[in-house]
Amino acid sequence: MAQAKRRFRKDHWFFFTIPALVIYVWFMAFPLFNSMRMSFYQGTGLIPTQFVGLQNYVELFTNPLFRDRLLGALKNTCILFAICMGIQNTLGLLFANILAGRLKGRSVFRTIIFLPATMSVLVTGFLWKLILNPHWGAVNQILVRFGLKQFEGYPWLGKPETAMIMVGLVTAWQWVGIPTMIFLAGFQGISEDVLEAASIDGASALQIFWKVKLPLLTPVIGLVAVMTFVGNFNAFDIVFAMTNARGAPEYSTDIMGTLFYRIGIAGQHPVAQPNMGVGASIATVIFFILFLGVSMWMYFRERGSRVQ
Amino acid sequence: MRKQRRFSLLVLVVLVGVLLASALVSAETVTLTLGSWRVDDVEQVNRLLDAFHKSHPDIRIRFNPTNPPDYNAVLRTQLTGGTGPDLMYVRSFKVGQDLFAEGYLEPLTGLEGLEENFSVGSRAAWSLNDVPFAVPFMAVSHGIYYNVDLFKKHNLEIPQTWEELLQVAETLKAAGVIPFSNGSKDEWDMNEIVFMNLLPNFIGGREARLEYETGEVPFNDAKMVSAFKALQDIAPYLPPGQEGVSYYDAQQLFLLGRAAMFFGGSWDVAFFVSSEPDFEWSVFATPAPEGRPTVVTFHPDAGLGLNSASPHKEAGLKFLTWLTTVEAAQILADEIPGFYPLNQTSITLQDKHANDFYALHEGKDVDARFVWPELQSGDPDGYLLTQTAALAVVKGSMTPEEAADYLQEGLETWFTPTQKFKK
Repeated sequence: MAQAKRRFRKDHWFFFTIPALVIYVWFMAFPLFNSMRMSFYQGTGLIPTQFVGLQNYVELFTNPLFRDRLLGALKNTCILFAICMGIQNTLGLLFANILAGRLKGRSVFRTIIFLPATMSVLVTGFLWKLILNPHWGAVNQILVRFGLKQFEGYPWLGKPETAMIMVGLVTAWQWVGIPTMIFLAGFQGISEDVLEAASIDGASALQIFWKVKLPLLTPVIGLVAVMTFVGNFNAFDIVFAMTNARGAPEYSTDIMGTLFYRIGIAGQHPVAQPNMGVGASIATVIFFILFLGVSMWMYFRERGSRVQ
Repeated sequence: MRKQRRFSLLVLVVLVGVLLASALVSAETVTLTLGSWRVDDVEQVNRLLDAFHKSHPDIRIRFNPTNPPDYNAVLRTQLTGGTGPDLMYVRSFKVGQDLFAEGYLEPLTGLEGLEENFSVGSRAAWSLNDVPFAVPFMAVSHGIYYNVDLFKKHNLEIPQTWEELLQVAETLKAAGVIPFSNGSKDEWDMNEIVFMNLLPNFIGGREARLEYETGEVPFNDAKMVSAFKALQDIAPYLPPGQEGVSYYDAQQLFLLGRAAMFFGGSWDVAFFVSSEPDFEWSVFATPAPEGRPTVVTFHPDAGLGLNSASPHKEAGLKFLTWLTTVEAAQILADEIPGFYPLNQTSITLQDKHANDFYALHEGKDVDARFVWPELQSGDPDGYLLTQTAALAVVKGSMTPEEAADYLQEGLETWFTPTQKFKK
């Protein structure tokens, strides 16, 4: 009896996880698996009822109507990811390095850099749409003022060549504060002793950055990369706000999120009859892409820490 | 203690009394719900319903609209689950026909006033195999808005032919005014309110459309090519950077007086009136090329149907019968300018601009938007095909011939009547 009681005490931590577990299972795990289950069904209405096996996936990967869009969306999401990694996170690293130093008015800059991240995506999207407008947008007016006449009335968001890049840059502009803050915390976590030792050994500021700070920051960089990856493959709002759910022009800004929304939830204008089954299969594809990406990161992180 | 008990007894008696009274009242009047996608017209529709309540005190109808983009999906879910509204707005052609074919809508064969007051053309939009399933309710018209002051300033007259329209555009462009404010950033507007607006002028009205739909002519015949050619004609007169001009931008360019004309629909009337631009504006019918009659795109938009599972079918039919009357049409016309009743009896509209727009189609051949009636039930649907082709022609990445071929080849994959033209 006493022994049983002790065992209960030993294991009773488990009971404290139950509230969180219930919420997680009910609101996260169950909908996730239910959505995967739905990808094996077809039918009209909100709950497809006809079991079709892998037919939705076959449709998605072989029917050119779906396949071309899926490949296009994959490509555009990768462009978005590249811009966010190349510009947003690089700038974030740079800003964090500056902010970690002894700069005057640090907190002012920190606020300015973080401010856009506090705004609603729909608001930023709308503002940038106005700024990039060919007729009353500030960007073209400034460019023309500087003598670049060829940009008079240039539709940044209307040309397939530039639209995705613009959307990516706006995303980077808005979220640059997040990696900045994370990197800043990382830089502040580096022990002063190490940096001091390096400078006593005669290392220049650049050498300290490349040879000391950056290697110590690798786990943080990995974390930021994974966060960006997950964010981009789930992104939808910025494209919806700046172009439209069809990824205008000519599907050049169509990303995984808009493709899923269009096929699975909203349907095509004007009939607007969504195809829940194929939509769910797109969601499952997105899930596996994310799963693969995050697993890879966890594998390398594990291996990295074991080596250390 | 005793007092308290007496008080609670009193409360109980009052409560029961109220309940009984309300039960008695509700036994006398039946309440029906009316589903719709017109969230913008709640007050106006309520005034229409009030007029009906006055003559039918035993029936109450509650207007319960849904966000427009979600309406089709929400309605379908409600109907499948048995919680659909008693009465509902029904989309014209394909979407409505699908609901009727699945048995969710009550057939309205022999409804009093339906055949007498509505033309074959408008009834066809809500019929399947000649069985009507909704009362034609509202239509929208298409045309070109123009800045009267700018036309006067440059000594321009309302163009009567397509060629004259292009000359007008040329004059305006030479004078530094943007001729047409439309752009293609939002994509649907170039297709829906520019291409489908001008299309019947180049191919003809309903009769001509039926020729395509029955497979008498292919979708890439000379007439269709000429319609895409028309888009190519106006491309140089669109605003600079038109790829980045949205529907809203286009309205603003017109309202600011920077563009002289705007391809638009009657639903824009209310917005333009409330924006109070500081110049005089009006509308003219999109003109046909020399030697062809002008045809107006007059599109049946909303019908009113009855849920076949409704417990109050009798009351619902009374309302639908009332809707076919001139009285109802007149109230609708006064309340919602720019959305026109389909009643055949000629009515006068209070709003001057709405009336001007309405007058454009009178005495002329009319047709629905080209792809709506038959071309939306397959993949790729006609709407998407004309949209892609129209945008490409305006941009210059497709010739009119290529655009027409693209439409034909896309439809060939599923639209049986035209498959015999397959190469």
